[in-house]
Amino acid sequence: MKSVSLSGSPRENVGKKDAKKHRREGNVPCVLYGGKEQVHFIIPEKALTKVIFTPNTYLIDLNVDGKEYKAILQDIQYHPVTDKILHIDFLQVFDDKPVMLSVPLRYTGTSKGILKGGRLLRKYRKLRIKGLIKDLPDEIVVDITNLNIGDSIKINELKHENIEFLDTPTSVAVAIKSQRVIVEETVEEEEEGEGEAAEEGGESTTEENKEKE
Amino acid sequence: MLQPKKTKFRRQQKGRMKGNSMRGNQLAFGSFGIKSLESAWLTGRQIEAARQAVTRYMKREGQIWIKIFPDKPVTKKPAEVRMGKGKGAPEYFVARVTPGRILFEAEGVPLEIAKEAMRLAAQKLPVTTKFVVRRDYVEEK
Repeated sequence: MKSVSLSGSPRENVGKKDAKKHRREGNVPCVLYGGKEQVHFIIPEKALTKVIFTPNTYLIDLNVDGKEYKAILQDIQYHPVTDKILHIDFLQVFDDKPVMLSVPLRYTGTSKGILKGGRLLRKYRKLRIKGLIKDLPDEIVVDITNLNIGDSIKINELKHENIEFLDTPTSVAVAIKSQRVIVEETVEEEEEGEGEAAEEGGESTTEENKEKE
Repeated sequence: MLQPKKTKFRRQQKGRMKGNSMRGNQLAFGSFGIKSLESAWLTGRQIEAARQAVTRYMKREGQIWIKIFPDKPVTKKPAEVRMGKGKGAPEYFVARVTPGRILFEAEGVPLEIAKEAMRLAAQKLPVTTKFVVRRDYVEEK
């Protein structure tokens, strides 16, 4: 799994006043838990962009006051209006302890169904998985080459060594659906047979219907 | 137009709105959305007008989600009626919106199309809004 190193400095005091002071200075209050003790620290906001504004999931090598920790992002709090990062929770991970996290789902190949005019329906951007850190992949890759219109791949059909998928096993991860446009085209063809005047009339009524809706 | 199928009580008191939106303030379904920066009551008609603006601009491509629902009845007294004699008749329904609330979400269209569609929707609404994009959004080639 890809890793990113972040360094933080410990918080001397905790509490609202202290947190607000750090936010004004451009830092984000953070906490690390999951190990023997909780660690409160701050990280510069700019350093966090590479782990937050990305679809990838990273293992984070934290350096707080000279001590090294391995962690994953557990929770991020944002301001409801400004969307500024308010607080981050890191979960400490160990090599012998399984962890749960979300990894991106990526598709490869060009599906037969899409070539025939189908539409790719993606239900998940990320999948929740559980496993040991050494076994966790950067992403789950699904080959959609053999998918035809109407075919789908469910979570329980995905296979990956030593990891467990935590999403509902029967839910559809990716499917190829027929395009709505195809149906409209067939309707237009029928109208063409009736003549141009009828076609114009048909279009205007459909517009009226849309407005009524 | 959006309104409840049935209500437990026909009339509600006005109430007060304070503070920011503590839920529904992050994108949940789509990659794009508009976020309210003010608090207001949005009527079912306004929400429907905004929805139509988005659907028309997106030419029925992609998918949209309406993240608010007008569930609060607003009453009005008839014209030229003296005060008193009880509360007026229910006139329309409104959704209470506080700053930070995501109003609409969209998916399945390019960023520029979504941005313009949401701008058109925002014009139909009585609140200032901002366009928001999912943090891990990457433009597909």
